[in-house]
Amino acid sequence: MLEINSITKTYDTNPVLKDITLSLNQGESLGIIGESGSGKSTLARLILGLDSIDEGEIIFQGIRVQHKRNSLKKVRRHVQIVFQDPASSLNPKLPVWKSVVEPLENYPDTIPLFLKEVRNNKELMAGMLFNKVGLSQELLERYPHQLSGGQKQRVAIARGISLQPALLICDEPTSSLDVSVQAQVLNLLKELKRDLNMSYIFISHDLAAVQFMCDQIAVLKNGTLLDMFRTEELFSEIRHDYTKKLVGLALKDIL
Amino acid sequence: MEATIEKQIKNAGDLVHTAEESLLEIEDLTITIDSVKKDLVKQIDLSIKAGEMLGLVGESGSGKSLTATALLGLLPSSLQITGGTIRLGNHQITSLSEKEMRQVRGKEIAYVSQNYQSFFTPFIKIGKQFVEVIQSHSPTKKSEAKKIVRYWLNKVNLPADRVFNSYPFQLSGGQLQRAAIACAILLRPRLIIADEPTTALDVLTGEKILDLLRGLQKELNCAILLITHDLKHVMNRSDEIAIMYGGQILERGRTCDVYQNPAHPYTRLLFQSRLQLSKEVTKELRTIYGEPGLIAEKGCPFARRCPYVFEACNEIPQIKTVSDAHWVACHAAN
Repeated sequence: MLEINSITKTYDTNPVLKDITLSLNQGESLGIIGESGSGKSTLARLILGLDSIDEGEIIFQGIRVQHKRNSLKKVRRHVQIVFQDPASSLNPKLPVWKSVVEPLENYPDTIPLFLKEVRNNKELMAGMLFNKVGLSQELLERYPHQLSGGQKQRVAIARGISLQPALLICDEPTSSLDVSVQAQVLNLLKELKRDLNMSYIFISHDLAAVQFMCDQIAVLKNGTLLDMFRTEELFSEIRHDYTKKLVGLALKDIL
Repeated sequence: MEATIEKQIKNAGDLVHTAEESLLEIEDLTITIDSVKKDLVKQIDLSIKAGEMLGLVGESGSGKSLTATALLGLLPSSLQITGGTIRLGNHQITSLSEKEMRQVRGKEIAYVSQNYQSFFTPFIKIGKQFVEVIQSHSPTKKSEAKKIVRYWLNKVNLPADRVFNSYPFQLSGGQLQRAAIACAILLRPRLIIADEPTTALDVLTGEKILDLLRGLQKELNCAILLITHDLKHVMNRSDEIAIMYGGQILERGRTCDVYQNPAHPYTRLLFQSRLQLSKEVTKELRTIYGEPGLIAEKGCPFARRCPYVFEACNEIPQIKTVSDAHWVACHAAN
């Protein structure tokens, strides 16, 4: 479904991604792990077409992702994103239900399966989407500042899945949330993946989270793809030294 | 120069290390919103010994940062301490005047916040800001102040000369947080309050910052109050741990005791809902019902999210002793 062929990206003279190649099948999940500055968020921006690629190409469902309006409109119908900070990714001046249905307004011809019966009624659609992410209907009319961090993040996820995208990119979706809420949000994403046969790319610096969430893991450091493997092989002997170091650190957390 | 500083540290350490008595003692502290007479922090007890680290764990809105603000005497005027006492060494913080408090703040209590970006003034070089801090607390020659600054920048593993002549925006997040720590410890405080010092940093950098704090704590023999919502950080480093919810302390004790034998249902659920790397991946994480802001008005604050709730939970639970230095406030615990 998604193919990334040796892409390179440089900001000014600073190379942030060097010759990255990876691919993802429909219904599978990919975890991207790395420190800050490793290029993980840049990779997400490139897949979304928010930035131009210097070299190489990204092919999504047979369409080449280009930093041009026409090609983007086609791609974005199927790729959505959930950002790290839900507070700044929702319009503070709109009641949250309006934010949730905005993608559906941009793609009037798209009819997601789970919204088939209510496609002509925006409020009902928002209600259905709230249902899907486990939010109460009472919250529909609220503004972002009247919701807790976990609730806001679920609103962002509801918007992310509103078009029933083939791929959802989650950029550190839980790092600003409390432990108990983090568990709720991660469970929700996994459930949605199963129910909607959706793929997601889960970007995180927490190896335990990536292991829990993903079928495959890619390790990025300083813009280079160091290691790529199926999650079951995380503890294998042939892992890159850096991966082993991350595993060691994460295991140290268990007393 | 270095030798003199080292010696001063050692002497100061000897002075503090006289008794087993706690350095910081909070008793029965209650903080109230004046206008609506609502208690945000309710009768909490905490203590830290010199040279030890206390991890204060709680979700957003549990009152942990508010407690820290009260320690620094920086509560906004809409909030008031309506009960209890805070003692730091020989100072009764709760009864100090603003002028006296200013002597304590910075010199005896230092504060490291999660927001390292705003710790320094953006358009003044870092070294100059350090020198200003030293000179505002005691008259020092500029040349001497510079030497002291270099010494502490080295201590937190920063390239002293470069950082001294840098503007804040020229440093990375981890470097800035290190510089902020250097600035906090430079007057050799007896207590460092670290309020979520790693939230804005990536994991590896965060780990390094916490290890640095831990090392400095041992070396300077100061006490650290580490405030965090992340259990992981506390479990491996702190000597004691306190779990806070809805303005009350639900469980408190030596870290190893609490880890091996968590007595409060909230503590147990927190342990179960955190992510752990393991050879066998779990299919689903254990979750806690409801949202962090869901606090019971009366009785045990966790009652509305607790799976073991029963009638008695309408009353505030008495504090029970689990073992030697391990307490819990729960009706269901035995």
